[in-house]
Amino acid sequence: MRLHRRRLLQVGALGMAGSLLSAPALWAQNSSNVIRIAVSAGGPRSVDPNQTTQGADNWSTEQMFEQLVRPRDGQFATTDDEYVPTLATSWEASDDGLTWVFQIRQGVQFHKGFGEMTAEDVVHSFNRARFDGVNTAVMGNIADVQASGDYEVTFTLTGPDPLFLGSTVFQNGASIVSKRAEEEKGEGFNTDSIGTGPYQLDRFDIENGVFLSRFEDYWDGPANIERVECLYIADTTAQTLALISGDVDIIEAVRAPGWVDQIRQRDSSLLVDMTNPGSFMTLHFNLNVAPFDNPLVRKAIATSISSEIVANAMAPMGQPTFTLSPPEYPTGWAHDELPEELRYDHDPEAARELLREAGFPNGIEFTANTSQREDYRSSMLIVQELMRASGINMRLNIMDHSAYHGSNRQDQNTLALHAASFPPVALDYMMRYLSTGAEVKPDGSGGTNYSHYGITIPGVDDELAAMQRATTMEEYTEIGRGIELKLQEDLPVMGLMTLGFTAIRNPRVDLGYEVESGYARWRFHRATKA
Amino acid sequence: MARYILVRVLDSIPTILLVLTLVFLAMRILPGDPALAVLGDNAHPETIARFREQFGLNDPLWLQYLNFLRDVFTFDFGNSLVKNAPVATLIANNLPYTLELTLAAMVIGITFGIPLGVMAAVRRNKWQDNGFRVFSLVGYAVPDFYLGAVLLLTFSLSLGWFPINGAGTDFASRMHHIVLPALTLAMLKMAFIGRLTRTSLLEVLGRDYVRTARAKGASERRVVYRHGLRNALLPLSTGLGLSILSTLSGSVAVELVFNRPGIGRLLIEAITERDYPVIQAGVVVFASVVVIVNLLMDLVYVAVDPRIRVQ
Repeated sequence: MRLHRRRLLQVGALGMAGSLLSAPALWAQNSSNVIRIAVSAGGPRSVDPNQTTQGADNWSTEQMFEQLVRPRDGQFATTDDEYVPTLATSWEASDDGLTWVFQIRQGVQFHKGFGEMTAEDVVHSFNRARFDGVNTAVMGNIADVQASGDYEVTFTLTGPDPLFLGSTVFQNGASIVSKRAEEEKGEGFNTDSIGTGPYQLDRFDIENGVFLSRFEDYWDGPANIERVECLYIADTTAQTLALISGDVDIIEAVRAPGWVDQIRQRDSSLLVDMTNPGSFMTLHFNLNVAPFDNPLVRKAIATSISSEIVANAMAPMGQPTFTLSPPEYPTGWAHDELPEELRYDHDPEAARELLREAGFPNGIEFTANTSQREDYRSSMLIVQELMRASGINMRLNIMDHSAYHGSNRQDQNTLALHAASFPPVALDYMMRYLSTGAEVKPDGSGGTNYSHYGITIPGVDDELAAMQRATTMEEYTEIGRGIELKLQEDLPVMGLMTLGFTAIRNPRVDLGYEVESGYARWRFHRATKA
Repeated sequence: MARYILVRVLDSIPTILLVLTLVFLAMRILPGDPALAVLGDNAHPETIARFREQFGLNDPLWLQYLNFLRDVFTFDFGNSLVKNAPVATLIANNLPYTLELTLAAMVIGITFGIPLGVMAAVRRNKWQDNGFRVFSLVGYAVPDFYLGAVLLLTFSLSLGWFPINGAGTDFASRMHHIVLPALTLAMLKMAFIGRLTRTSLLEVLGRDYVRTARAKGASERRVVYRHGLRNALLPLSTGLGLSILSTLSGSVAVELVFNRPGIGRLLIEAITERDYPVIQAGVVVFASVVVIVNLLMDLVYVAVDPRIRVQ
């Protein structure tokens, strides 16, 4: 075989042309008929709302699916009477709170000609969420769900739940999907899902994003904008440049100190949409590790940290919290509401005194793991500095995000920061963080009670059980607030702050409503674009 | 020749196997749980347990390794743990972008690097040579990700000449999108190839047969290009092989900066998400490319140097 340079060049040129032709087409031009949002992830995983495990995917499912009830756009509903009829027109609970009957909206069409939504579809959607979803636990209170008519569905609960709409019905997994479509598409439903929302799926591109078009038969009238494109741009610099250049209309903000100010300095016309509260940032003391087994040490640490200072450093996204629940939630306590001895106001000298009292006149030293993710790292670095002033020297072991949570789940941390987004359903996050059943285990099979609360020291299992039995919102809230006070006394965990979900928006796009609270995603069905 | 190629391919199998084994072990030794990475840190324990069972993450390590080897030898890398797609599809979708970027960078690097090297050699110790030396120092010293960001800010954001993100839709748009990423990678190539050309050419230009050519009255152009450069190509071809491989690995950072799809970006995401099948398949692809490029370079030796005969 003889090879010549010319032949080599020809082969190289052919190879390049071949590679150019074989790769799929990517984005089209941005225009006034399309809203483009850049989300912080490498690529979509699923558009089946019952299977999504990546927050970024929720931006597309939010446009494609609906639940029986929803809060008002841009808000969290903190009590059940704040939910508005969506795919259900009305509902009624029995006196014992164990039976809920929903009247289903008639004439609602599924995308792509999959017909009218009926009670069968609702029952099917809830059953798949109960038995085959990524969050089956939140459906645990449903004992049975039946179609009691063509447009009527009856739920039987194992226990009363005055927040049933928030805890169970308004969940991603409880989005209503077409039973026929799922049966026909099988596993393909993951990436070709059929819902009733204002936008339907056009293209699911695993490398680049999810492309949606307006659903003309949407029951509440067609959306204003023709298309929505959820583009996946993992690199935050690339995202920012895409927004500034006008390639995209909305980006998710980086939750780092000064980031919002920086981008607004670059372009002051950009708009900031932010939820309050956002994710809970909580500090969990490992009660099995000395010196955190000493309540005075925990109080010293709480006194050495200022929630206001940490929240201010993360402004405008950070908001101070004084209990596990943020003050905006029914079970949360505002600073001035708390008994003075349970406020733990920032006082480095008082923290030193508490350490002396605990038998540590020279202060304490310990190592804690944290994630390299910006919100974790920044928060822990600020906490580290605040504690240092009280003689508390925390050595930080910064690791990648997956490794960090792996170490937490294997009980390898001492003072664990955890960020999580929770709706105003106190029982949900209290069960996760405080119940003995959720205790973290060294083999990784346990839950997120990183403190061993209720095992190492007496906990709140009885109170949580009472909360599960509560039949009214008042009773539920009262027990929850009592738990918060006990937590302030025991300090297995402390609220550090909440970090609002923030998106930066091109002023050409008007959402049609104000974003005030809610999950880290918002709908575009009322949006307009200049 | 066919036998030679076969022997070379067979020779490379133990190397690839070793690399794969190291990657397999490294991913499992590193802290971090794919179940948590995929399902999120708030996932319920039962959901995590179901995931681990479904993807065989609870199997003993030796069984996971045997399954992995079976997949490699049957070219069935299974499904991504994270994305709803077969790994082969992910690789097939991304590889063309990385190849086109590598090829474009190499074309630019060779097109400009060789003439620059020739100029520096011919004008040795003159201002052209000194200028090239400064250029090559800068080319070596500036990291890809930094140069990429500077080019992006200058030519895309400020001047608006090139797109910010992605890889384009049609052919013209693809060409438009590739300019800055390719230039970023090509800077180092130009510096490297230019220096290599200069050194090699200077050595050749001092040889007896070049002096003889000059004594016979051959024009300087003919001496440099016909007698000098042709003979300087042999060491250059070795350097080109290394350069292709470094371009391929350099594409990782450039794909991230320019938000281009590609194998590098795919691998980085897979590592972050502990997506074992994608990481393993990506390493197979990279290792195979290394073997293929090395083999091609050996063949290029044959093409450019008729003295070499395959034994």
